[in-house]
Order: sequence, then C-alpha cells, then structure tokens
Amino acid sequence: MTKKHSVVESVLDNLPVAVFVKDATDDFKFILWNKKQEEVTTLKAPRALNHTDYDLFSEESADYFRSVDKAVIKRGKLLKVPEEIIETKNGREVHLRTVKIPVFDEETGSTLVVGISEDITEQVKSHEQLANLNRNLVATNEELQNTQLQLIQAEKLESIGRLAAGVAHEVKNPLALLLLGVDYLGQGIDPDDPNIEKILKQMREAVDRADRIVRGLVDFSSQRSLSREPVKLNRVVDEVLLLTKHELTRSNTRVTIHIPRDLPEVFLDMSKFEQVLINLVINAVHAMGKTQDAHLEIRARAESLESVEKNEGARKLEVLRPGDHVVILEVIDNGCGIPNKDSTRVFDPFFTTKATGVGTGLGLSVARKIVDLHGGELTLSNREDEQGAVAHMILRTKLETSKVKIKTTPILPEAKEIDSKGRKPASS
Amino acid sequence: MPKKILLVDDEAGFTELLKMNLEKSGDYEVMIENNSTKAHLTAKAFKPDIILLDVVMPGMDGGDVQAQMESDPELTNVPVVMLTALVDSAELSEGAVAQSGSVTVLPKPVDLSLLLRVLEEHLGTE
Repeated sequence: MTKKHSVVESVLDNLPVAVFVKDATDDFKFILWNKKQEEVTTLKAPRALNHTDYDLFSEESADYFRSVDKAVIKRGKLLKVPEEIIETKNGREVHLRTVKIPVFDEETGSTLVVGISEDITEQVKSHEQLANLNRNLVATNEELQNTQLQLIQAEKLESIGRLAAGVAHEVKNPLALLLLGVDYLGQGIDPDDPNIEKILKQMREAVDRADRIVRGLVDFSSQRSLSREPVKLNRVVDEVLLLTKHELTRSNTRVTIHIPRDLPEVFLDMSKFEQVLINLVINAVHAMGKTQDAHLEIRARAESLESVEKNEGARKLEVLRPGDHVVILEVIDNGCGIPNKDSTRVFDPFFTTKATGVGTGLGLSVARKIVDLHGGELTLSNREDEQGAVAHMILRTKLETSKVKIKTTPILPEAKEIDSKGRKPASS
Repeated sequence: MPKKILLVDDEAGFTELLKMNLEKSGDYEVMIENNSTKAHLTAKAFKPDIILLDVVMPGMDGGDVQAQMESDPELTNVPVVMLTALVDSAELSEGAVAQSGSVTVLPKPVDLSLLLRVLEEHLGTE
C-alpha cells in the first residue's frame, strides 16, 4: 500500500459520512467500504468487499439498490436519493440520504458507482416526534376551541332560560289576539260586517309576529360552529330587541337606536353575536334597575382605525391594525356604572355583582370571547359625560363592500327613537 | 244604556279586537287607551263603569295605573280587572280568576266567555 493510498483510506475512514464504491463492470461488487459504512450497515469491510448487494441485503433491498445504480450509470450523472431505508442484520432500520456518482476509472477501464450516505435516522426520528407533538398540539387546540364553543353554548342556554319567560309573554300577546279573532268569528259571520276584514288582517299579523319571535329564539339557540357571513347590524339589533322586549318593557327602559342606513356590513356569526348583544342589553337593564329614566342607546358608526391601543396586547395587534375598516358598535346605558374596584374584573369568568341566581358571571366573559373569535374587540367603561356605562365594540367590516375612506364618520342624523315596543313614542 | 268599559293596554291590535268582541252584543261601550300614562285622564273624562288594565306596559305599568285610579275619589269605586300574560305569576293558572284586594286578575290570552262572566258579576249585565 502506497503512502498516498493510506492517506486517502485514512481520510475516508474518518469521514462522518458512509462511503462505498461499486464496480459496475464487475456485477456491482463493492470495492470500497469505509468505517462509517461499517457502522451504518453493521457489516465489516472484509464481509462486504468483493460482494454484491444481493450477498449483503434482502433481495428486495438489493433489487432497489441495483436499479438505482443502473440508473446512475445510464444517466451518467449524479443522483440524489433523499431518503432510503436499509435494515441492518440486527433488524434496526437505518435512514440514509445518499448521493450516487458515476465514475469512469481510466486506469482500469472500469465504470464505478461511488455512494456517499449520510445517516439521517436521528433527524427522521426527531422530525416524526416533532410531527407527533404538533399533531397533539393541534388536537389540544381543537379541543380547547370546542370547549370554548361549548362554554359559549352553555352560557347561551342559560340566557335562553332567562329570556324564556319574556319570550313566552311576547308569544302570548299574539295568541290572545288570535283567540279574540276566533271568538268574534265564532259568534257568526255577517258578510256585511266591516270588522271581519280588519280582524282577519290582525289575525294574520299576529301569526307572523308569534312566528317571528319563536323563530328568533330557535335561531338563537341553534348550536353551530362559528360561521361568519356579512350581516347588516340593524338586523341583529332588531332580533335582539325582539327577544329582550319583555325585559325592556318591564324595566320601563327607553331604547334609542342610531345605526346609519349605509353602515358597512360586518362579518358575524348572527346567532353568536346576538348572544353578545343580549348579554350586554340584559346587563344594562340590570345596571339601570334603580335609574328613574332608564335609557338604553345602541349606536354604530364606521371608522378606519387610526391606531390600535398599545395596551391591548400583542394578540390584539395581530387582528386589528391601523387602517383596518371597522364598525364601532356601542351599547350605552345610564345605570349605576362600573365601580372603580371592579373595572379590571368585569370580564373575569364568574365575576358578578348580581344577587345569586340573577347572573352566573359568565355573560361578559363569554361576550368578549365571542367578539375575540370574530377578530374584534370588546371593552367596557364608564361614560365620560354622565352616569352609566358604555360597552364598546370594534367589529371587522367586509372589506370588499366597505365604502369608508376617512378616519371617522359622525353618527348620521337618521337616528330613530323608539320605545321598548319598537315603535315611535306616542305623543302625549 | 250600554255599560262603559275603559280598556288600557299598549297592544293596539289586541284592544281593537277585544273592543269589537265586547261591543258586538250591544251590552258594552268600549273606550281604548293604548298609552298607560294617559289612562287616568281618559278615565276621568270617560267615566267608565269598569276598567280593564294590562299589567306590563311601557311608561306606567298596570299596578301604577291602578294605584292612580284608586287614589282618585272619582274613580276609587270603579272596579278594575287586570289582564296579564305574565307566565311567572304563580297564583294564576289558565282560566282562573284571582282576587287581589279589590282587583280581579285574569290571565291572557283572555277567555272571552270568562271575561264576560266577570263583567256580568261586576256590572250586573247579562
């Protein structure tokens, strides 16, 4: 062995990659097999040299190696095998990233296949572990989201329970009207009676009204995953006022709505967002329990966000950015307001200032969760000008239909004043 | 002479139909007041023989209106029948008539024959 030869062998044996050479002109017998190749295959060089893949590996593996070798010779170019698996004698699977190079040995006239393999078994295992961890993380996240949706649904069922008496009352009124119609017609029908046409019209309207109330409750109670669509806010507000009409009437609350007719649509899950508004309206009614002239205002306006509050946290910054076209929706009451000591806790789950049985303390925390799920923001603060509180929401508009170009558009003059029955107040 | 009934309820459709039903026999003349805050003044002008009063109304509720009537010497002896669709009223079952002091309470939806019977009892009409 020449000195030069021994240097080359020493370099080869100390390489961190497996190197082998096969003689394609002699049945692809191995003519070089370095130390790393011994380690990877658990076969010593004397066992491998002058043998073929068929002598060392399973027939299936040998067929595969042979086909790759032939392809390398045929192409006459380097071939990369991103991952191949060999099974060692002790049954261990070794993952290799291999490069095969065709070489023509001018001295002997032989065509050789030089293989250089990197053992990537640990990398593959780490990758699999990472993939498993990621799968678990995704599953856990899904579970968490489902739990959140279940919590939202549970809170919704609770508010349905609270609204049920009022809704039943609202359905009973049209029923009372229907019964009177039946009673009148049951006494005999005189074709010339001018009342009959009026009565039938009233009965038809009563059926429509009862149907609308019941349908509103059914839609509200439906359990679905979050499904957003462009929605006109005044539609949501109308539904919510219908479902909370009884509470508003009983508490003698005057309701004023300011929603500009050309307000851009917002991306909402109608049923879940109704839950937000119902919670805020009921909260406001409770807060105005001792107020003489209870007044609830619902205001909406379009804005382009000039800045996002710095103290809203990184998570919020991810969803709302300066320049975003948004709709600001505010529910304003003239009730007792938020005591300073409670201002940081109002969105905490199970935090309530109401008597046992009146509230679970989940309403506001669920409302904020739902607004979060919509990529929006819900805050609650005291009014600056007078007694009472403001629930302030930033909601995303459907960008394609947004007509807003400037920073702030003032409340439009089309505000309508209605009483809690949804009508203009009677003149007195 | 038909007896005079003042009907105070914010549901305009309901009051219109009840008026038609009650006036059909010719025994009653019905005045409707849909605004509870004006009920007292309307009663003073109309001088009803009996007052039918809804409970849940915006402005003033039935209880407040009733108290207002009772404290007015001109109206204090006028019988009051409260009509209520309140479903959480434990003392009322469907079709029952409850007496609460000088006030009779009838559940909504109103059973017309029951209401007519209550009116007959109070006014001596047939």
